[in-house]
Amino acid sequence: MSIERIDPELCTGCGICVNSCPMDVIRMDEKGEKAIIKYPEECMCCDYCELDCPVDAIYVSPEKYAPLMVSWC
Amino acid sequence: MSSGNVVETDVLVIGGGIGGCFAAIKAKETGVDVTIVDKAYAGKSGASIAATIFWMVFNPEWGADFDVLMDTFVKAGEYINNREWCEVVLKDSLAIYQDMVAWGVEFHPDWRECINMYPPFTGVRLKFRKHAPALRKQAEKVGVRIIDRVMCTDLLKQDDKIVGAIGFSYDTGGLYIFKAKATILTAGGSSYKPPQFAMWPITGDGEGMAYRAGAEITGKEFPTTFPTLASYPLWGRSTWAYIHLFPRLTTDGSGATTVPPFESGVEGSRREWALNWEFLVHAGKRPIIWDLGLASDEEIKRAQREAANSGFSPAEHERIGLDLNQRGKFAVSGGPAGYSQAGQAGVWVHDTECTTSLPGLYAAGDCGGIRYNGSYLANPGLGTGPSAVSGRRAGVGAADYALREKKLSIDETEIDRLKKVIYTPMERKSGFSPRWVTQLLQNTVMPYYIVFVKHGERLQAALTIVEFLRDHLVPKLMVKDAHELRLAHETKNMVLNAEMMLRAALFRTESRGLHYREDYPRRDDPTWLAWTKVKEEQGRMKVSREPVPEEWWPDLSKPYEERYDLRFPGEFVE
Repeated sequence: MSIERIDPELCTGCGICVNSCPMDVIRMDEKGEKAIIKYPEECMCCDYCELDCPVDAIYVSPEKYAPLMVSWC
Repeated sequence: MSSGNVVETDVLVIGGGIGGCFAAIKAKETGVDVTIVDKAYAGKSGASIAATIFWMVFNPEWGADFDVLMDTFVKAGEYINNREWCEVVLKDSLAIYQDMVAWGVEFHPDWRECINMYPPFTGVRLKFRKHAPALRKQAEKVGVRIIDRVMCTDLLKQDDKIVGAIGFSYDTGGLYIFKAKATILTAGGSSYKPPQFAMWPITGDGEGMAYRAGAEITGKEFPTTFPTLASYPLWGRSTWAYIHLFPRLTTDGSGATTVPPFESGVEGSRREWALNWEFLVHAGKRPIIWDLGLASDEEIKRAQREAANSGFSPAEHERIGLDLNQRGKFAVSGGPAGYSQAGQAGVWVHDTECTTSLPGLYAAGDCGGIRYNGSYLANPGLGTGPSAVSGRRAGVGAADYALREKKLSIDETEIDRLKKVIYTPMERKSGFSPRWVTQLLQNTVMPYYIVFVKHGERLQAALTIVEFLRDHLVPKLMVKDAHELRLAHETKNMVLNAEMMLRAALFRTESRGLHYREDYPRRDDPTWLAWTKVKEEQGRMKVSREPVPEEWWPDLSKPYEERYDLRFPGEFVE
């Protein structure tokens, strides 16, 4: 399923991933301390958050389940 | 009175991708006040995952020949190129490259090797995701104001002039009012969030707001296509690069190799490469397979180098089961179906300063209908670079216009009306989900038999559904928070863009380049040596034809088969 986890142990709360995501999938938590996956439905598997994370706290699976989608469109 | 964040600026740039960054920097260099507003994060959001592969730089010192390249453009584009813009795209590209060098953009370490990657074009390669941050840094350095994570929904119009835009923050839900003497739209092209390619922020917002303000939109009938791996279709980052570089490794269901080798410089093969697979699918010859068993050792080594250049680690390869050494077979999927054609589709621009039919409005990048590439993009590397070229031109033009404009006064009732348009989906107590309506739209307009292999009856059927979505579902979109509010406005823009695409495709009663009609399988010269324009008139969408100047026509005394050497299915059947 697209973005799977942001490891809270590793996350330093720098917020880079929030800006790397063009789809607004990631937000900071209520205290503003850690990045969280807020809207996973919008993840398009671009992987930019994982690439930009300076501490490798993010894992994005290449698998995306989109119901009713067809492969040849 | 409307409350909200009010930003007053000389030049407003909507969208901070490569075109927007160049527009803003060049406008700012003339001394005016400049603001970029971006739906995501300026400098990062606009770049597609493919933006690094090749960057066309016309440089005679590297062996490029102007006449040969012009000829390549118009032959690939099948004579509906705007040749003024072809010339600009070529001649400005070196200055763009030099700017980027000066701003510290990193290029491929083996850049000399890349110069002649795609003859007859010359160019360089960017390093994956390195150019955009450097552009943002330069914009900040020269003093451009940047506002991220704000989606503009509509342009502000006063006395038939565009005087800014209105939008909202999806973080806070807060209203943003931009009052600007000149506005540049660099908000990207349009697509329907394709399941095959990670470019979902590109939802035709720029064309949508321009259309609603009364601008003309061109080129909507021409799609874009390139393949990705079907297994993990969104993961197009490097797999796209591989297939792109080695198209000859692709076979149809019967095992026959389907495409001529593009790399040998076979003229026009890229268009065949793109559309022929759709024809095969239509004929039932699925699956299309990318067969690494056909690759030479040298090709495998090169693919591995490509992987490294794309920032794609062996671990990531493993994650998607792609081991180049194992030489497996991979199913190919349909690429970014429904994505409008870069450099062709967009807001109609009148001149090489990117002015539009609305005073105060400029359009550039993928949002600018500069039409240099005609009915098909002649080469890889001609999306990103020309976006920078048109952005740079628009920046200079808009700054010059802003200097001549007086202080702004904006009608508050118009602001209040557009504010209501923004927030109504949040106030509804019942209605439809934008995610669901988006999916209905995708399943209506993205199948190959609508976007690539077209027929009047099918286009009409799709249009009937899209009109229903427009009239019945879009006016009842309901959202629960500011994040979903963005989805609602994106859905509205995608439905509008689908209608433009279908009407333009129905209107062009011929086949040309990437526009193929089963019911009109031939080019129709000279009637369709023309561009389409979509525009709102008395609340209705109207399509019209704008002839290509006669001096740019092909030699009509030549037989049809010589004028056009690429064939369409059914072209010669009576």
